[in-house]
Amino acid sequence: MAGIRIGLPQMYKEPGEKRDFLPAFVSLLSHQGAELFLEYGYGSELGYTEGDYLRAAPAINFVAHKEAFRKDYVLVLRCPYENELRLMHPGSCLISMLHYPTRPQRVALLRSLQLEGISLDSLKDDSGRRLVENLRSVAWNGINAAFQTLMKLYPDPGLDSPQRPPIKVTLLGAGAVGMNVVQAAVRYGNDKLRKRFVEAGVSGVQVTVVDYDVTPLDNYMIDLLKRTDILVDATQRIDPSLPVIPNHWIQYMPQHAVLLDLSVDPYQCKVKPFYVKGIEGIPQGNLDQYIFAPDDPAFDAIPECIPTEHRRWSVSCYSWPGVTPKECMEVYGRQIRPVISTLIDKGGIQNISPEGRFFERAIARAQLSRWSETGEFRVPGNSDLKR
Amino acid sequence: MRIPKTIGFPRMMKEAGELRVFLPEFIQFLTSLGLTVFIEEGYGSRSGFTFDDYHQANTSVCMCSREEAFQQDLVLVLRSPLLEEYQLLSKDSCLITMLHYPTRPKRVELLKSMGHRSISLDSIENDYGIRLVENMKAVAWNGLEAAFDSLEKCWPGLVRPDGEPIEVLILGTGMVGKHAIEAATKLGNIERNNQHIKDKGPGSLALSVGRSITDNAETMEKLFRKTDVLVDATQRRNASRPVISNDWLGWLPEHAVIVDLAVDPYTLTTDPIVVRGIEGIPQGNLNKYVFHPNDPDWDTHVPAEIPSKNKRTTVTCYSWPGIHPEACMRHYAQQLTPLMEVLAEKGYDDLSMQGGYFERALYRATLKCWLESRHSVRKPR
Repeated sequence: MAGIRIGLPQMYKEPGEKRDFLPAFVSLLSHQGAELFLEYGYGSELGYTEGDYLRAAPAINFVAHKEAFRKDYVLVLRCPYENELRLMHPGSCLISMLHYPTRPQRVALLRSLQLEGISLDSLKDDSGRRLVENLRSVAWNGINAAFQTLMKLYPDPGLDSPQRPPIKVTLLGAGAVGMNVVQAAVRYGNDKLRKRFVEAGVSGVQVTVVDYDVTPLDNYMIDLLKRTDILVDATQRIDPSLPVIPNHWIQYMPQHAVLLDLSVDPYQCKVKPFYVKGIEGIPQGNLDQYIFAPDDPAFDAIPECIPTEHRRWSVSCYSWPGVTPKECMEVYGRQIRPVISTLIDKGGIQNISPEGRFFERAIARAQLSRWSETGEFRVPGNSDLKR
Repeated sequence: MRIPKTIGFPRMMKEAGELRVFLPEFIQFLTSLGLTVFIEEGYGSRSGFTFDDYHQANTSVCMCSREEAFQQDLVLVLRSPLLEEYQLLSKDSCLITMLHYPTRPKRVELLKSMGHRSISLDSIENDYGIRLVENMKAVAWNGLEAAFDSLEKCWPGLVRPDGEPIEVLILGTGMVGKHAIEAATKLGNIERNNQHIKDKGPGSLALSVGRSITDNAETMEKLFRKTDVLVDATQRRNASRPVISNDWLGWLPEHAVIVDLAVDPYTLTTDPIVVRGIEGIPQGNLNKYVFHPNDPDWDTHVPAEIPSKNKRTTVTCYSWPGIHPEACMRHYAQQLTPLMEVLAEKGYDDLSMQGGYFERALYRATLKCWLESRHSVRKPR
């Protein structure tokens, strides 16, 4: 089977964004017959040299940023900027986190440029489960950052004291992220720390999970917040104009409490009603800065339509998995490998059938050309196993 | 056996409440892979399916005897047949079922001695050890649904007398525990939860704790005294000791319901012994999975040597996914679809770790791989 040509450009996002695919992943694709074009300096933020990639895959090429975009396929984790998308040839295919349902302008742009897309977040199995995701890292990295912050704030006798009571974590939302949060929280988001605490006889962590039928109970929630050391937002709200925790509830929380944002919903004051984060009045972080003291200037940069009077230390990041970039790319590499392998085996996206094998069906569900704004893909129903 | 041409579906001869069978759409799908399907007479009849439902005028679907169903190239049955039925397999057959190699040495020895091929559904794992054929979500949701059903009999509409949210304490944060958290916050059933919200009910909240809390009697007493539903979703490293002693159950309110999502039995004849995670509760099955404190069956299900003085209503089932058999089998069919595609194409003997994603997963579940891995530290990833 003739190989396909894949460009791997670097991402030019915030400086803290270090993620590139690892040499082992590149090696597997190269040995399977793909022609790979990595941008000069690819992987350097992770400490890899061109030699590391060449040792793993001698047949790969290094090219300029623009050249990497001028291949039949472009593989890059986060969606490139518009000027970068315009470098791509009509008919070529972008493989990236494209988030079709929430990015209508991006969808329109890609279509106007006559590009095909495979949205990594839309790759799903026959039961609708995402094949490329790292919710575990969202939870573990966020919880780890929250406990590191709490460690500095926790009052006497201190977080590491056998005399302190169990830590109380309150989790908003019991969905896919929330389920990982519980597992992470009872382990402090850090297995080494947990081991140390267990050996020292330090009390553990209690996680109270409340979903959308409990959060509207004002008195109950305020009582719960008074006893909360870490408050975690892992909600998926139907109505983003309504906060789960209004800013004035935060005043009831202990001074040492830490607010953790895993939902990363944006603020939006240009539409009415305003869009607000689940925990009202905390800043939005990124890989450059994700821990905010109550007097951090980031609070003042929050749009004026949002009340921020009541503050606690806040932990928020747009890309939590990127906090541990190598581990993250190892996970994504394993998840994406069979998808790219299928593209190689089939000789390209044009030969992908929505009625084909498992990964073909998954790719078909993620194709831009099969995506419709109603949210329905133009492929056979999931329950139809006949072919 | 090289490329399989036929597949047999013998009936599961388990408790009467075991109604799970593969569904007609899955049988039809298998014929699209080029397989001729042999279904034991009466297959699915307890769930209301007739042979015509399976046949659908497809000449590749045939009715057969039990013996014939076991004689096909592939034999697919969800729960393992009895050991004495293994002799019904032909020497070229491949048995595909939940074999639980690690905990069922007798099965392994018998299969090996008879020279049979097998693929254990519970051992089909991807490159990072995730099971590809499992229904842990149903374990958690069906268990919690049964618990809230029981609680609702004493609290209509699931409203506590004090109007506060129902408190669910979950032990264990593994895969089953994670699903239990979501099920607990949604009253074990989405439809009931939506109605509850519409009725402005107070809802429920889940409290989850790890091992460093469950070892602490003082903290556990405080938690138990306000627990309405206690869930055991633990995976113990040492199965000879309970996580919760029977004495501690005395701290639970009289109305509390215990949900048993673990499957360890009482086995007191082995060394070390195996006891249940919550001491003194029975183990149920699909025929009976609710035990009230005054149930005369309680003492026949719990060995006399095990302390069981403190009793609370307990919901417990060896096969929780089987509570909703059709949904369960639709789920398994979805998971098996890509695997059967590979198996029909390659056959058992040609499976290898050099193949694709699903081929590697299948290979890890073969008897030959299991026997090889017993001589090494880990199964191949």
